[in-house]
Amino acid sequence: MKGCLVIIERELLALLRNLRTLLILVFVAIAFAVIVILKWPSSGVSDLNGMQARETYQWLTYGMLGAAIMIVPVFPSTSLVREIRGRTLELLLNSPLSRSAIYFGKAGAMLGFVLLLFFATLPAMACCFLMGGLSLADVLRLYGFLLLVCTQLVVIGILVGTFARSTEAALRWSYGVTFAITIIPTFPDYFLKGNDSPIAYAAGWLKMLSPIPSLIQLLRQGSIGGTGVAETRPLMFWYLVFTGVSIVAGSLVCIFRLSHSLLDRSRSQGSITDEQSLGIRAARRVLYLVDPQRRSAGIPWYLNPVMVKEFRSRQFGRLHWLLRLIAGCAVLSLMLTLASAGGAETRGVNFTGAIIIVLQVALIVLLTPGLAASMIAGEMESGSWNLLRMTPMGSLRILFGKLSSVVLTLALLLCATLPGYAVIMLIQPNLQAQVRQVMVSLVLAALTSMLISATVSSFFRSTAVATTVAYCILISLFAGTLLVWVNLDAPFGHSLVENTLRLNPLAAALTAIEADGFRTFDLIPSSWWISSVLCTVLLMVLYLRVRRLGQPD
Amino acid sequence: MVDQTPVVEIRDLSKHYGEFVALDNLSLTLNRGSILGFIGPNGAGKTTTIRILVGLSRPTSGTATIGGVDCVRELAKVRRLVGYMPDKFGSYDNMRVREYLDFFGAAFGIARRERANRIAEVLDLTNATWMQDRYVESLSHGMQQRVGIARTLLHKPEVLILDEPANGLDPEARIEMRLILLKLAAEGKTLIVTSHILPELSRICDKVAIVAGGRLRAFGTLQEVTRELSQMRTMEIQFLSADGLNQVADKVRKMLEPTAEVKVSEAELIIRCRTSATDETMAGLLRQLIMDGDKVAQFREVAADLEEAFITASRAAEAERTGQAAPAPAAASLRASSEVAQ
Repeated sequence: MKGCLVIIERELLALLRNLRTLLILVFVAIAFAVIVILKWPSSGVSDLNGMQARETYQWLTYGMLGAAIMIVPVFPSTSLVREIRGRTLELLLNSPLSRSAIYFGKAGAMLGFVLLLFFATLPAMACCFLMGGLSLADVLRLYGFLLLVCTQLVVIGILVGTFARSTEAALRWSYGVTFAITIIPTFPDYFLKGNDSPIAYAAGWLKMLSPIPSLIQLLRQGSIGGTGVAETRPLMFWYLVFTGVSIVAGSLVCIFRLSHSLLDRSRSQGSITDEQSLGIRAARRVLYLVDPQRRSAGIPWYLNPVMVKEFRSRQFGRLHWLLRLIAGCAVLSLMLTLASAGGAETRGVNFTGAIIIVLQVALIVLLTPGLAASMIAGEMESGSWNLLRMTPMGSLRILFGKLSSVVLTLALLLCATLPGYAVIMLIQPNLQAQVRQVMVSLVLAALTSMLISATVSSFFRSTAVATTVAYCILISLFAGTLLVWVNLDAPFGHSLVENTLRLNPLAAALTAIEADGFRTFDLIPSSWWISSVLCTVLLMVLYLRVRRLGQPD
Repeated sequence: MVDQTPVVEIRDLSKHYGEFVALDNLSLTLNRGSILGFIGPNGAGKTTTIRILVGLSRPTSGTATIGGVDCVRELAKVRRLVGYMPDKFGSYDNMRVREYLDFFGAAFGIARRERANRIAEVLDLTNATWMQDRYVESLSHGMQQRVGIARTLLHKPEVLILDEPANGLDPEARIEMRLILLKLAAEGKTLIVTSHILPELSRICDKVAIVAGGRLRAFGTLQEVTRELSQMRTMEIQFLSADGLNQVADKVRKMLEPTAEVKVSEAELIIRCRTSATDETMAGLLRQLIMDGDKVAQFREVAADLEEAFITASRAAEAERTGQAAPAPAAASLRASSEVAQ
């Protein structure tokens, strides 16, 4: 217990000494204060039924959940990776501290930070409470629930940290898993609701992994948007069971993995097929199609060297990985199409399209920061930016090479899911125009994600920070705006929701395919214009930044 | 190998970061084929000078040219003339050595076939051919340094600027590095090498520049620099026996100036003096010892080394900054003390 406290003290102090942590806390406090100020009654009429207070309470609740999803995964996952890379974990493991003390110390420190985050929201919540219509039990229940959500995120973060080899990978996987358990599980049930198939039944259970439906039930919302995810089953009970089990199981795995084996990771010495016998070479050619261990040819004159370098230096950028990625996406797309085509008669093909769209955007949001946020920041961090500046290549060529490597990967990803749309058009040929609109929206979603991540990358010298900021912006843009849509009519009005959704190319795509809940919105072409202008501005800022960074200091 | 054509010319180079003066009117010229040991304490202005030379930083005033090309105005040309190896390696993940070199070769616009030959040449020159298929991040520090040099050589630059190439290398790797640098100089390359391993540097450099506090404190051949900086000389008087060694030391103390340090090493039968006395005074001292019947076996001056010159320059810069008199060089004092202790 004492050792655990030592770790908590060290970790928490290190966190609090960090200027960025302070800025996060201040930002959260200010953001929540602004919400209350906007909702504070200004007229002389009193809100006797407490409607306004409850609306403010809902705003604050979703804001807190959003903040938790965006902020909490960062610290636990990167903390452990930093310890491993800095070899300080070795010192801890060699100390008399037990593995469980180290784990609970780390988790405790992160939860301490979560409590500070909650503390920053307290003034806003107190004001909301003073507005009336809320009981103390409501507030305490909310904080208790959010603490549970954050505990799960902390455990996931530490668990990811025991597997990841770099802070970027830790962030990517933490956000991926967080995204997968908080947002993604709500979509299948939303689209398959009313269907009696076993898949729809499974989707109903899958939904319980996410805290959003339970939170809606906790808030006792019965709004139009809310019906998509809310229902009469005891969601909270099952959520508590799932989360409790995942916390305990995750903690046990973390404690088991916190050992010296984390530090004994061998590095590939680089065996090469070209030096093997003819038989082995031939066998590998047949087995692999594209042999990952063959000696690669020189970069040809017609290819941008930076683009080739980006592909080669990326963990999954080699050709054999790209082929696997494309094949995986294509298979997934076809499976989804086939699985949901059965329900087309009851729900129409639109919902099939909607599922594919959500899947594609989820992949885009998950992968793009990993690809683009390290674009400049990674070079700065490793010191290779100076080497790049020392070559005769201009800023434009460097930027073009870097962006093309991301564009090509995202294009492959988008193309790989095309079979799904082909099936949709086969079932209902009159949807061609809508599918084209979806395509445009998805391309804009990919470009926006890429340019946001790349521009963010040009402002930071640390890949971890750039990746975190990029994820926060993208999650706010793609999921945060949907959180507003989920609360349509309670507390948000149609006009506010529509204007918010205009920022989100995913919403534009869902509107184009006329997915349930999006039919009443008119987002195209205004959403395209907004995305195009945003992309143009971001591209200009990015070019100016790269140009500036390429010039002598 | 050194010819008299100036390749690197720096004139009154200054760099200010707000109030802080990183570089103050630095001027030096380097001829083709020479190896310059560019030394100074941490924060002396070495890296700032190098960054200006390679076009990564802009000077506040002054000029720097390489092969007659202005390092500020003609960046594209300078980049082809210079090969720069920073102290941070700058590796890329998941890339093999050959791919790493191939990328930089392509970035310099070398045609594919020529590039393949060039990569083989530079790997051979740096004894790194065997590691061409290894992943860059899996290499040890010494191996990475070799790959770093290979990279700087890819586009056949006239001038090589190497920031701490021997840093963190084991003795064997250091010897290999030294041989590689000498080989490059023999090929007519001009080298600017910074290092904190001064004995290593003194073995390969034909010129030395010592910077401290942003200013050039000494520049010239090793002998010129040590003579310029070492106002105190170290004399060693060795005797045939230890009898009366302390009395002789007292006699020596009386004959030298009061600030002179006289230490006795009975184990070595040596009296060691740090003095500013002239040759005439030293000749008088020797004459007196012989006349007194002291059994002198050897009477010699210890050659001042780069370490001592470096410390003298650093102390002078520190004294200038704090406004106090520069203390005696620590290296000599420390060495003398340790020998007395023996």
